[in-house]
Amino acid sequence: MQFAPAIPPGRYLYSGQTMSSEPILRLDNIVKRFGQFTAVDGVDLAIEEGEFLTIVGPSGSGKSTLIRMLVGMEEVSEGAIWLRGERIEDTPANERPTCMVFQSLALFPHMTVGQNIEFPLKIKGRSPAERKQRALELLALLRLPEHYYTRNVTQCSGGERQRIALARALAFDPEILFFDEPLSALDYRLRKTLEKELKDLHERTRKTFVYITHSLEEAMVMSDRIAIMNSGKFVQIAVADDIYAKPVSRFVAEFMGEVNLFDIEGTTSDDLHGTGIEIHVNGQAGEFGISLAPNEKGTLMVRPEFVRFLSSGETSDFLVRGILRAEYALGSRIQYKVETANGSKLTVENLREDRYQGAIGDAVILGWDIESTHIIRE
Amino acid sequence: MKTSRLLRAALMAYGIGIIAWLYLPLVSVTFASISKARYLSFPVKRYSMTWYTRALESDTVSDIVFTSLKVAVIVTVVSMVVGFFGALAFARYNWRFRKLYQKLILLPIFFPQTVLGLALLMWFNSVGIIPTWKTAVIAHLVWISPIATLIIAIRAYSFDAALEEAARDMGASTWVTLREITLPLLMPSVISAGLFAFLLSWGNFPLSLFTTGADSTLPEWLYAKMVSGYSPLVPTVGVLSIIASFCLVTLAVLFPWIMRAARKDR
Repeated sequence: MQFAPAIPPGRYLYSGQTMSSEPILRLDNIVKRFGQFTAVDGVDLAIEEGEFLTIVGPSGSGKSTLIRMLVGMEEVSEGAIWLRGERIEDTPANERPTCMVFQSLALFPHMTVGQNIEFPLKIKGRSPAERKQRALELLALLRLPEHYYTRNVTQCSGGERQRIALARALAFDPEILFFDEPLSALDYRLRKTLEKELKDLHERTRKTFVYITHSLEEAMVMSDRIAIMNSGKFVQIAVADDIYAKPVSRFVAEFMGEVNLFDIEGTTSDDLHGTGIEIHVNGQAGEFGISLAPNEKGTLMVRPEFVRFLSSGETSDFLVRGILRAEYALGSRIQYKVETANGSKLTVENLREDRYQGAIGDAVILGWDIESTHIIRE
Repeated sequence: MKTSRLLRAALMAYGIGIIAWLYLPLVSVTFASISKARYLSFPVKRYSMTWYTRALESDTVSDIVFTSLKVAVIVTVVSMVVGFFGALAFARYNWRFRKLYQKLILLPIFFPQTVLGLALLMWFNSVGIIPTWKTAVIAHLVWISPIATLIIAIRAYSFDAALEEAARDMGASTWVTLREITLPLLMPSVISAGLFAFLLSWGNFPLSLFTTGADSTLPEWLYAKMVSGYSPLVPTVGVLSIIASFCLVTLAVLFPWIMRAARKDR
């Protein structure tokens, strides 16, 4: 597995402005061990001010442990955390200017909505009048009715509780707002709505958001940058499009949704050994950076939506013959499974309007272009 | 599931039987307390409230009640405090000897109280402490504070640790977190633990018998009166004691409602 370097400052644009050179949060070789087990294994990261960064990984990848160390609820075994140039890894959670929205939301059940939102202000010693004014502002910001101020949190719905937790975290006015999978308990439609609300909120508040989730879709919708984590390490950190189109490993490619992967070796012929893939590229391969030296091993990747059914006589850069085995309706798209001559399976996804006109069992020719092809070298 | 008529009738009879079995003795004591006769007999022939007047006027009775009250109140307060922190250690925090602590703290509940009382008396004697109502407080605490701990621990187990973490994350110190989050959320169980502590101490006989020395608590006095020189004061004071306990329990049952009303006002 390899590290992808953090994106150099200034290269990547977001919200119409260039990132400043000083990261708001910098992690320097962070390690966390629980006895013999290493949960987080030497993580480096630079988070830019105002960025929405999502850390994605399967359960057990160490992302929760990492975020708990960042807010100060877990001790760091090794390494340093820098917040605006100040080392904070030994600062207790209650003295760090960061705040987290918990997976369980952690709303205080013995308090009203208003008391919950005002809690951080009460701790900071603000006057009751000021507290109430701010709580009402936040209720409005999160589109909650004003009369919820006196409502008990236990009487609120899942989505409302979500917004209350967010309002409370914003009342704290943190330098960085962390999220520990707060949407995972909600149903699909509500999650979709809240994802967009969260993105809007990020744009309106311009705060630095660091979000962790196991759901890639969630990450893709909201984030400026995505960091993929596996076995306690970052596998790739990049903007969503790059992670989707140019994954650095098979793990990332597969984690980012349906994908066709072929083990290949560099070749000089116009056929990839054993894969049944014919190459019809006219000396362009090198230009797109997908050429392999003869005998060099790699993985060829193409996303299902870039593969299309070719009519006889039509050609494309890459071409495979096979038999259509199955068809699944996925809503707006249709997914097909095609078995090639050597037994490997290919997944194709077309929009409903581009539906393949034929039947299961047909001999078909599939093709895709070099622009949608990516070679993974591990 | 539909219950048949026969089954429903049987359940009803069972319910009434249980309640009668539990409360009939109390009813007979009540009758005895309002009987005019000098000796306990049933059915009661002539009724009178004289013994209630005498009980309420008696200096002995008020002394005894005061002693019992002192013991019970101190036991209650100490049990609530010890039980609260004990329950946090029991249920919320992981530490080295936690498993052992969990077993050891519950053990005194299962000791026969007479043995425990005797053991404490012998120990008091050997270190040269003269038993009074104060030693009874200690004896009661040995038996009652584990019970209080257990009651609070049950609720502490279901407590979401993220609530405390969230409070800390928003800048609350350990002490503020305890005051604003942990204590209010465990309060209902602390109140019930206190209630149990009070009632168990108020009615305790075996431990008091060994450890009060020259002082006497209400159950001890009732017993002494029964075995030597019975007077109708015994059922009368007994009934008064039951009424007091009943009032306390009613107050406790209403407590959550009172708290909610108070919170609304705030």
